[in-house]
Amino acid sequence: MKKRFVHALLLLMMFSVALAGCGSSSTPAKEESSPATTETKNEEQPKEKVKLSLWHNFTGEDLRAKAMRGIIDQFQKDHANVQLDIQAIPPDGYRQRLKTVAAANELPDVFIMHPGTIAKEFSSAGLVQPLNDLLDSNPAWKDGYLPNSFDDFTFDGKTYSAPMGLSPTSILYYNKTILTENGLTVPKTWDELLNAVKVLKEKNIIPIALGNKAPWLAQSSILSSLADRVTGTEWFDKAVAQDGAKFTDPEFVQALTYLQQLGTTGAFQEGFNAIDTTQMEQLYAQGKAAMIIEGGWAVTNLVATAPKDVLAATGVAVLPSIPNGKGDPNSVSGATGVGPALSSKVEGAKKDIANQLILALAGPEAQKTTLEANQLVSFKVDLDKSKVEPLFADLYSLVNSVKRTPVYDSKLTSAATETVNNGLQELLLGAKPEEIAKKIQDAQEQGLKE
Amino acid sequence: MTTAARARAFILIGLLPALLLYLIFVVVPVIWSSYYGFFSWKGIGEPKYIGLGNYVEVLRDPIFWNSFKNNLYIVAYSIFGQVPIALVLAILLTRNSWIQKFLRASIFMPMVLSSVVIGLIWGYIYHPQIGILNFLLDSVGLSSWKAGWLSDPKVAMFSIGPPIIWSNIGPYLILFIAALQNIPGEVNDAAKMDGAEGFRKLMRITLPIIWGTIKVAVILCISGSLKAFDLIFIMTRGGPANSTELLATYMYNNTFNIFRYGYGSAVSTSIVILSLLLILGSQLLMNRNKNAL
Repeated sequence: MKKRFVHALLLLMMFSVALAGCGSSSTPAKEESSPATTETKNEEQPKEKVKLSLWHNFTGEDLRAKAMRGIIDQFQKDHANVQLDIQAIPPDGYRQRLKTVAAANELPDVFIMHPGTIAKEFSSAGLVQPLNDLLDSNPAWKDGYLPNSFDDFTFDGKTYSAPMGLSPTSILYYNKTILTENGLTVPKTWDELLNAVKVLKEKNIIPIALGNKAPWLAQSSILSSLADRVTGTEWFDKAVAQDGAKFTDPEFVQALTYLQQLGTTGAFQEGFNAIDTTQMEQLYAQGKAAMIIEGGWAVTNLVATAPKDVLAATGVAVLPSIPNGKGDPNSVSGATGVGPALSSKVEGAKKDIANQLILALAGPEAQKTTLEANQLVSFKVDLDKSKVEPLFADLYSLVNSVKRTPVYDSKLTSAATETVNNGLQELLLGAKPEEIAKKIQDAQEQGLKE
Repeated sequence: MTTAARARAFILIGLLPALLLYLIFVVVPVIWSSYYGFFSWKGIGEPKYIGLGNYVEVLRDPIFWNSFKNNLYIVAYSIFGQVPIALVLAILLTRNSWIQKFLRASIFMPMVLSSVVIGLIWGYIYHPQIGILNFLLDSVGLSSWKAGWLSDPKVAMFSIGPPIIWSNIGPYLILFIAALQNIPGEVNDAAKMDGAEGFRKLMRITLPIIWGTIKVAVILCISGSLKAFDLIFIMTRGGPANSTELLATYMYNNTFNIFRYGYGSAVSTSIVILSLLLILGSQLLMNRNKNAL
């Protein structure tokens, strides 16, 4: 009898351990949903602090991330009646985390949202609420934006966020010293580029360093601009919608052929599919490569890693023009950056605070701070060039003097983007452009149906 | 209650917590995941029931089968690389002299390194510009053997072998040393008296006694290899052009990069089924082998 009691006790203990295990694993979910419950409490007792959850991805040590965290800290200081529940999530895993909580309908009150596909999905699922009222009541803010800034956040006539930055994805960084020493100038046309590749290769200098291990780089930084020069933006928009144009069309195949030509003429160093963007920037910073093609974000990295002589010799340009291309060669592919979004669950007093926070994060003041932290914005601000790195000032002037064209991965479906990324690796390894074009066409067609 | 029944009841109770946790966190998710495989779902919005659509697509997907083939490569590296090397090392290193202790520790060392570190180290060894491997080949006059170790799709899958073997020998070494030290001294003495020495003793006495451990090691190899993810993810990201894609990296990409949750679930269910089939096959094969020995 006594033994049985001991057994029962043991059993009970084990169960409780097991249950405690389950309990602790389910608490994060409870915590995340708690703002919703406190919200109702707040309406009854207005004296209690307003709790607001905020997710952002400004975790780095770069100037911009620090500036953004500064804005958030300042907001918290200025609003004693607000309690911010902040989660900073590193950019690499941020999208996945957002998607996961979105699937469980537990999005934070205010969060940094990516433009394009993810914004479209969130808005069509009714998870976020439009910011049109807020924008309309602050005309200085709304009208300060450059044209087309809200495009990637606007669906069915409603705007769900306001971009906090601008990312040109396709900038040609060149080393003036290396080019002049070899009797070359900055390539303005395709033939000049091919000639530069030939000359540099003979001198055993890497013409263009490429780090395409994470295969989005060739797509985002090279193809997006190159293909636009060949096909024109109008064709791309049609092909994305699969309405009157297909990726198997001769102009797109032609664009792929140009990219492949760069590969076969040896413009990129050996093994470019095995090194990452950091290693590619290293090759350039060490003076082993004459050029790299990367987004505007490379400026911060180059400033941090390149020796002074390389940095001083570095210039920025857009990709060269293509013979008989339908697109405007005086353009750069680029996307508006992330912006703050408001969960559709937020209302009442809490919404007022949330609106203030959004304004603090993306309003005119924040745009100025961002620009001075060496990050381009899609907003009319005059840059005080003494406050930023010279290379960034050059980039600012360049980007403001050219047109902006779409980036492939911000318009294509996720599945088609993946296909383009892997397809370009294959293309640069020698696959037929027609076959790659066919795969991309199939993926986009299929992706739109799902 | 008889003593035997009581013991059995106690064992059951003892197993219960582990069993419960296993049920909740392994078995139930596997079933859920195979259920999600019947839907077209982006993670947000209403899942759309599409019957066996995803599973049919998995079966027809050349990248899936290529990934499976790559997993089989890794299974082969493990069974024909890790297990024999670990076994030979274990036989050589059973005693406890300081040099053997030192060797054991250094062979086990990669196990305590994170796979990210191992991936980065080998990424640099294979680096196309500054890699030590190409440098070594150059300096011994074998420049013609140089290759794009990780960037050439024909070579990449073979370059993955050495890091995987190198980093995973440790636990098998420990397993085998433990098994060897468990062989009773009398057996060894008896073998000596009967004149069984060296290779003959190894084949007739030692291996049959630790055969059970070898079987366990092989099963661990198979299941570990089918789960392989981290090293590949760090070293090649499944590239170039899917040439080193594994089942797990392929599933991860589909689920968390393309956000095709339904298809990703179908892929993971297929991984479970393929793993079970492989383990079953290897069990049958090895049981027969034992009878033949």
